[in-house]
Amino acid sequence: MNRRRIGVYVHIPFCQHKCSYCDFYSVVSLDAMDRFVEALCHEIRLRSEYASEVEVATMFWGGGTPSLLDPDQFERIVGQLDETFRFSSDLEWTIEANPGTVALDKLRAYRRSGVNRISFGVQSFDDGELRFLERIHSARDAQRAVELARSAGFDNINVDIMYALPGQRTETHRANIERACALQPEHISAYSLVYEPNTPLYHRMRRGEILPLADEQEAELYMLTAELLERHGYRQYEVSNFAQPGRECRHNLLYWHRGEYLGFGPSAHSHWRNVRWSNIRSVHRYVEAVMNGTFPIAMSEQLSIEEQRNETVFLGLRADGVELSVVERLYGCSIAGAVADLIERWKQEGLATCDGTKLRLTARGYAVCDGLTVELLDVLERSCEVRQVL
Amino acid sequence: MELIRNFCIIAHIDHGKSTLADRLLERTGRVTAREMVTDQILDDNPLEQERGITIKLHAVQMDYTARDGKTYTLNLIDTPGHVDFSYEVSRSLAACEGALLVVDATQGVEAQTISNLYLAVDAGLEIIPIVNKIDLPSAATMIENVKQQIMDLIGCREEEIILASAKAGIGIEEILEAVVRRIPPPKGDPDAPLRALIYDSLYDPYRGVVVNVRVFDGTLREKDKVLFMATGQVYEVDEVGVLYMEQHRTGVLSAGNVGYFTASIRRVRDTKVGDTVTHAQRPCSEPIAGFREVKPMVFSGIYPADSDDFEDLRDALEKLALNDAAIHYEPETSAALGFGFRCGFLGLLHMEIVQERLEREFNQTIVTTVPNVRYLVRRTDGTEQWVENPAQMPEPVKIAEILEPYIRAQIITPTEYIGPIMQLCIERRGVLLGQHYLTQTRVDMTFELPLAEVVFDFYDKLKSISRGYASLDYEYSDYKPGDLVKLDILLNGDPVDALSTIVHRQKAYEWGRRLCSKLKKIIPRHLFEVVIQAAIGSKIIARDSIAPLRKNVLAKCYGGDVTRKRKLLEKQKEGKKRMKQIGRVEVPQEAFLAVLSLDDES
Repeated sequence: MNRRRIGVYVHIPFCQHKCSYCDFYSVVSLDAMDRFVEALCHEIRLRSEYASEVEVATMFWGGGTPSLLDPDQFERIVGQLDETFRFSSDLEWTIEANPGTVALDKLRAYRRSGVNRISFGVQSFDDGELRFLERIHSARDAQRAVELARSAGFDNINVDIMYALPGQRTETHRANIERACALQPEHISAYSLVYEPNTPLYHRMRRGEILPLADEQEAELYMLTAELLERHGYRQYEVSNFAQPGRECRHNLLYWHRGEYLGFGPSAHSHWRNVRWSNIRSVHRYVEAVMNGTFPIAMSEQLSIEEQRNETVFLGLRADGVELSVVERLYGCSIAGAVADLIERWKQEGLATCDGTKLRLTARGYAVCDGLTVELLDVLERSCEVRQVL
Repeated sequence: MELIRNFCIIAHIDHGKSTLADRLLERTGRVTAREMVTDQILDDNPLEQERGITIKLHAVQMDYTARDGKTYTLNLIDTPGHVDFSYEVSRSLAACEGALLVVDATQGVEAQTISNLYLAVDAGLEIIPIVNKIDLPSAATMIENVKQQIMDLIGCREEEIILASAKAGIGIEEILEAVVRRIPPPKGDPDAPLRALIYDSLYDPYRGVVVNVRVFDGTLREKDKVLFMATGQVYEVDEVGVLYMEQHRTGVLSAGNVGYFTASIRRVRDTKVGDTVTHAQRPCSEPIAGFREVKPMVFSGIYPADSDDFEDLRDALEKLALNDAAIHYEPETSAALGFGFRCGFLGLLHMEIVQERLEREFNQTIVTTVPNVRYLVRRTDGTEQWVENPAQMPEPVKIAEILEPYIRAQIITPTEYIGPIMQLCIERRGVLLGQHYLTQTRVDMTFELPLAEVVFDFYDKLKSISRGYASLDYEYSDYKPGDLVKLDILLNGDPVDALSTIVHRQKAYEWGRRLCSKLKKIIPRHLFEVVIQAAIGSKIIARDSIAPLRKNVLAKCYGGDVTRKRKLLEKQKEGKKRMKQIGRVEVPQEAFLAVLSLDDES
C-alpha cells in the first residue's frame, strides 16, 4: 500500500536575540536547550503510530534559530526522526539559519546529514536597517553566509528580504533586491514588515515613535519587488515567494495545497486528515506535557466542509491558483453564475487569469489578494448554499 | 375627599426631582431606606436612570399624618421631563391641584421649568416653590438670586419659598406640610356620572393595558361598563385600585382620587392619553377639556442591519408599540437598505428612546436613516401630498411649493451667550420673536425656527456654545413655505435613496460638499475608485472620490498557521455582510447617519 506523503516541521524556539518585528515563538535563554531536545525527541516518538501510515516528502526546521543547535543536539533530533519516520528518496529538507550563526563546518555537517536546502534570514543589505530590525548580523555576514553555503555544497538556497520599513526609500529596497539577486539564490522570499501585536516594533509604533510606511508607498515597493525579481528570472508563486523555475519550496507548497504535516516543538502547527492543531507556546509547559507522556496541544479544530472550502480558496489565491473544478466537486459550489461573473471581472481588470479551470492571480492581483479572497469567499458562500440544503 | 391631595413635581433635568420624590416616599413610609437600593425609584427604566430624565409617567399614593393630626392621602404624579412629551405633561398636570416647583439653587430657573410652570399655572394649579440643593457649597451665593427669579416668575412672597436639600433630607417635612395646607383638596361629586381623565397607560402582558386615571366625578367600580369618549370603545372593568409602589387593588375609585383600572384592553393605543372615561350606561355630558391626538413630528427609516431579519424587526416594533402609543410605523422599501419601516416619533428624544429600546430590549441590530420632518408638497397640478421620506419627494418640475413645520423655541440663557445663540439661530433660519430679561443676568429669548433645522444637532450645539447653561423648550407652530430642495447622493453614479435629504436651497452646496467629504471618511477604500457625488435633480453640485486600494494583502510569512489567517479572512467576510451594497460599493451602516455629525467638520 502506498504511504501518504506528508511534511514535517520542527520548531527550534531559541534565539540569541529577539528581532524587533518577530512574533514567532522563541526564548533568548538557552539554558533549556538540552531538556528541550530531549522532549522534542519524546514528542516525535509519541507520533510513532501516525508515522506508520506515511512517508515524509518534505521537512522544514524553523524557529527561532535552528542553527543555534550544537552538533550533538542536531544529531539526536535527526536520529529520532530517522527512527520514527520513513523519508522519501526525493526528500526536500530545509533548515533556517541566521547569517550570524553559521560556519563552514556546521554547513558541511548539515549537508552530510541530508539537509539539502537552506534558508537565510538576511532581511536587508543595509546595516542601518539591520540594526533597526535588531538582527544580530551585518550585510557582510549575510553575503558570506550564502557564499559559505555554496562552498559547503548547497544548491538550493533561499534568502529572506524584508521591505516597507518605516521611511524606507524605493532606492534602498531596490538595492536590497539587486544585492540578493546578485548572490543568485534559487529562491527569494520578500516579506513586507507587519506590525504584529506583542512585538517591540508594534509598541514603538503605538507610542508614535515610528511611522509605518503609507499604503501607497508600500504598494509601490510591492509591485517593484515582483517586477525586479521577475526580471531576474524569479517567478512569483505566492504573495511573497519567488523562485527560479522548478525551485519552488515544496514544503511551502504542501502548506498551500492543504497537504498534511506534523509539527514538532512549541507553537508548531499540524494538519492531519482535516484536523488542525497547534502546540503549546511555552518551552517550559511543552517539556512538562511531553515528559508526562501527553501531546502538548494548545488548540485543535476539526475543519468543517465550509472551512475546508475557505482554506482551499484562500490558500490557492495566495499561492499558485485555485482549481475551480476541485471547489465545485468537493464542496458542491456552482462556479457558473455569480462566481463566473466575478472571475470575468477580475480577468478584465487584470487581477487574475483563468485558463481552463485554474484561477490564478496576477502580480496586481496578489497585491490586493486579501480583498479579492474575501470577495470570492462571499460569493462562493452564496453559490454553495443551495447544494448544502439539499 | 377633604383628605386627598393630588400634586406633581416640576423641575429641570438634574434639579433633583427624582431624589425629592424618593425622599417623600421614604418619609411617608411608602418605602423604607433599605428599599432605596437604587436611587431614584420612580425612574425604573435603565434608560431613564442613565440619562437622568423621566420618560414614562409614574404615580404613587402615600399616607401622611400631618401636624394637624389628620392622615392625608397624597397622590404624587410624576411627569416626563422632556419637550417631546409636553402634551403628556399637560395631561398629568390636569390630574393635579398643585405642583412642587423645584429649582436647583446652583443653577436657577431653566426653559423647561418655565414652560411646564406656565402649563401648571394655566391649569390653575397651586404652586409650591422649592429651592433645592441648598447644602451644596456653591449654593450659598446663589440662593437669594434664585429666590428672586422665582418670585419674579410666579409672583409669590419670599416666605412661601421652601429651602430644601432632597439629598440631605432638609426641608422634606416642610414640603409635606405645605402640600397638605396650601394645595386645595379635589372637588367633585362621587354620585355624579363618571368623569375620569386618562393621564397614562402601560401594557401588562397578563392583564392587558393598565390605565392610569384621575377621577373627577363619579365612582369607578369593578364590573362597570365604561366608555372611552374619544375612541368610542366600551370595556368591562376587571380590576380597580390605587398605586402604591406596586398596584394595590381596592375595587373602587371615587371622585378626587387617582388610581388605575384594567379592562382586558389589548393595545396601549386604544387608551389615548387625555381621553375621558365614563360609564357606558350613564355617560357624563362633556368630556374633560384638552384632549388631542398625538401626531409624530420626526420621521426616520429603521431597517434591519441584516436584511434577513426584517420579520424579527416587525415583531419587535409590534411589541414595542404595545407599550408606546406614540410610535407610528409602516413598511417601506429602500433600494439601498432593503425592507424596513418608516417610523414617526414625537421628537428626537422619543426617536432615540425607540432606537435604544429596539436594540436593548428586543436585541435588534438596526440601521436608522437621518431623521426628517413631514413636508407638505403643493404640486403644480393643484394637489397636495405629505412627504415623510425625502426619497418620495416628487420631481422638482412637479412641485409648486414645499411647506415645512416651524416651532416656537424658548431659550433661557445667561446674558453672555446671547450673541452666539443669536448667531446659531440665524444660521438655522430662525427669527427672533422677542426677548425679555428674567433677571439682570438671565434672558428669555423666543425664536421661530424650522423644525428641520432643530432636528440636526441643534440642542447639542446650543449646549456647547453656552457651556451647558442655555436651556431650550419648544412648541410646534405651523407650516410655512420654504425654498427647499432634495439633495441626492450618488456612489459611482448610483443614487443612494436612504441618503437623500431635504435642505434649504442656499445651504445645499455647503451641505453637499460636507456630506461628500464625510462619506469619503466613512466609506472604506475599495479595489476600484469610488466617486461620491451630491446632486440636486440632475445637477451635480459636489464631488469627492476615494482612491482605489493598491495593496490589500498581508505579505507576511505565516508558516503552517493556516487557522489564524483563515479566521481573519472569515471575519472580514462576515464584516462584509454588515455593509450595505450600493452597486459595487460597500457602505458601512454609520454612513446613513453621517449627515447628523456634519458640523464636526467646521
